[in-house]
Amino acid sequence: MAEQVTIDNITKQFDETVAVDTVSLTVEPGETIGLVGPSGCGKTTTLRTVAGFETPNAGRVLFDGEEVTHVPPEQRNVGLVFQSYALFNNMTVQENVEFGLKMRDMPKEQRSERAAELLTLLDIGEMGNRDPTTLSGGQQQRVGLARALAIEPRVLLLDEPMTGLDAKLKTRLQQEIGSLLDEIDVTSLYVTHDQSEAMVMCDRIAVMNDGHIEQVGTPAEIYEAPANNFVADFVGTSNRLDATIRNGTLDLGHATVTAPANAPNGSVTVVARPEAFTLDEGPIEATIEDRFYLGEHVRMTARTPDGHELTLRFDPTHAPESRHVTLSLDPDRVHILRN
Amino acid sequence: MSTPDSDSNSNNTQAITGTVPEREPGQLGRLSAIYGRKLITVLIFVTVGFLIGPVLITFVASFFQNWTGILPSGGFTVQNWAQALGVGAESIGAQRGLGGFWTFVAPDILFILQLPGIADITVSFPFDIRIPTPIPVALGFSVLLALLGVVINLLVGVPIAYAVTRYDFPGRRLMNTFAVLPIVPGIILGIAFLKTYPGLPSVIALVLGYSLLKIPYMVLAVQSSFESMDLRSMEESARSLGASWTTTFLRVIIPGAKQGIISGSIICWTLAAAEFNFSYVVYSSGPRPFSLFLFENISNNPFLRAAAAISIYFVIVAAVTALLNYVGENGFSVGGVR
Repeated sequence: MAEQVTIDNITKQFDETVAVDTVSLTVEPGETIGLVGPSGCGKTTTLRTVAGFETPNAGRVLFDGEEVTHVPPEQRNVGLVFQSYALFNNMTVQENVEFGLKMRDMPKEQRSERAAELLTLLDIGEMGNRDPTTLSGGQQQRVGLARALAIEPRVLLLDEPMTGLDAKLKTRLQQEIGSLLDEIDVTSLYVTHDQSEAMVMCDRIAVMNDGHIEQVGTPAEIYEAPANNFVADFVGTSNRLDATIRNGTLDLGHATVTAPANAPNGSVTVVARPEAFTLDEGPIEATIEDRFYLGEHVRMTARTPDGHELTLRFDPTHAPESRHVTLSLDPDRVHILRN
Repeated sequence: MSTPDSDSNSNNTQAITGTVPEREPGQLGRLSAIYGRKLITVLIFVTVGFLIGPVLITFVASFFQNWTGILPSGGFTVQNWAQALGVGAESIGAQRGLGGFWTFVAPDILFILQLPGIADITVSFPFDIRIPTPIPVALGFSVLLALLGVVINLLVGVPIAYAVTRYDFPGRRLMNTFAVLPIVPGIILGIAFLKTYPGLPSVIALVLGYSLLKIPYMVLAVQSSFESMDLRSMEESARSLGASWTTTFLRVIIPGAKQGIISGSIICWTLAAAEFNFSYVVYSSGPRPFSLFLFENISNNPFLRAAAAISIYFVIVAAVTALLNYVGENGFSVGGVR
């Protein structure tokens, strides 16, 4: 049965640097939470603390309410998947998967049966006798995942598992492993710097910055309603505009549009995703400066009369040809941050 | 204005002026494109042939009665080998000429303990045992001496290679430099040994000297294996799977560096067996080291006998290399998952 993982106010310091600063996070049984953030934000340190390779200076780690903060890693029963795969080069694929079971003294027949099942589950059933170094990156990572899952871990920890893979393979593996993690009953913590990967793989996302968690929420919440400038900037592309709300209108300085419902008056920052702008006879004037044809859509960089840069995206069949455009802003698709 | 930017367009798009000449491959370039690969292949074959030729001819010649021209002549014989190995009736006289039997002499002094003012103990071996040792046995013993040196090299070199690859600690670079630096020549180390440990039996001095002199080769070979592994992630994987640090080290880390350990052992053994300078200075009694066996057979002896001795050396080197390789390839799975 999947277990709940609680990170309770942990702080981890290396010499003078505070890598993780009073971070709390609860991963519900069976849930996959993505820890995302720029490099050096403390996400890997958090993961290593859960694994037991770092002892926090303060705070606790609990598995299903049982404190494990000082339990050594080999007794924690956590599954680890690394960016570098970290497969054992002196063992075959099958032996790699069996290693954890061997450490648990499972009889030979049972463990080879279980290893074979896991390899089949990960679609590399026929590679058991291969030397792992002869496998492709994607296959090696499947072995790494099978090896971690073999021990029925209390929590599965994945540290940038897809970072070394090429884009196409990454997309396929994300979908495959994402649905696998949904199907099997395991609590997972997924560290990545790639927010789009976290959106595919994870039930909830915790955005980290500078040792803190900035926001925890579903991918939709994080994208549609970022808690602050950092999250808005880090997750997806966003336009941020200074504005003033006055009685239901949003004054952008160079143009005035309808404010979102129930927005109180005052000075705010408007977070508007590129797709919130539509091309019509709207009040916002802009000059197109660059256009990038990306197949699925056309991305454009435009500038407002007062010099703000906007990133816009249009369907290729409706992309404007002219240099000067007028736009309207969908009030339901903007998010307001209080200043 | 005289800035380099100002003499081109007035526009904000800056044009890059000047033309880059096409690259003309010279005559040599064209020739190397056509013949380069063939030339190198021929060169490799010629070089290898040139080096291996004398070895093969020496080996073959050691079974002949004459070797006056380029090729040996006079019919097949095992006489040369028998003489070099000291077997067969007529070879014994020749050995006497070399200075008597190869003897295992029990060291007179086992150890000396000197603590100024407290103790001055000299433990001597009570009997003077001189056992005539046949040359093949002495050679085998010498093989074991060099192997013992390799064992010490492994016990010291593998942890050093691991530590300098895996951990960052003060003095890491210094340790790395010293570990891979062949600091002293064998002859100097030999004299230093004689001066510092006057009572040390040859056997112990030889083993210690071999291991000290050859450690850099072990560290270098094993280190290159460790560097190709992501040591930290592998260790953490193994530990998360339930292995203790010791189990991880013995079952994952060391077997992972198998190739480096095998090649390091072969290099160290071969170099220890061939170490002449140190052996010559330090050796006083007991079975003669390998290199001295060669030396005595080469100096003041018929050329064919030297050829036989060298051939014996080749056979032993080949056999030990094969043995180390076999043990290395098969020995590691004992502790593994298999």
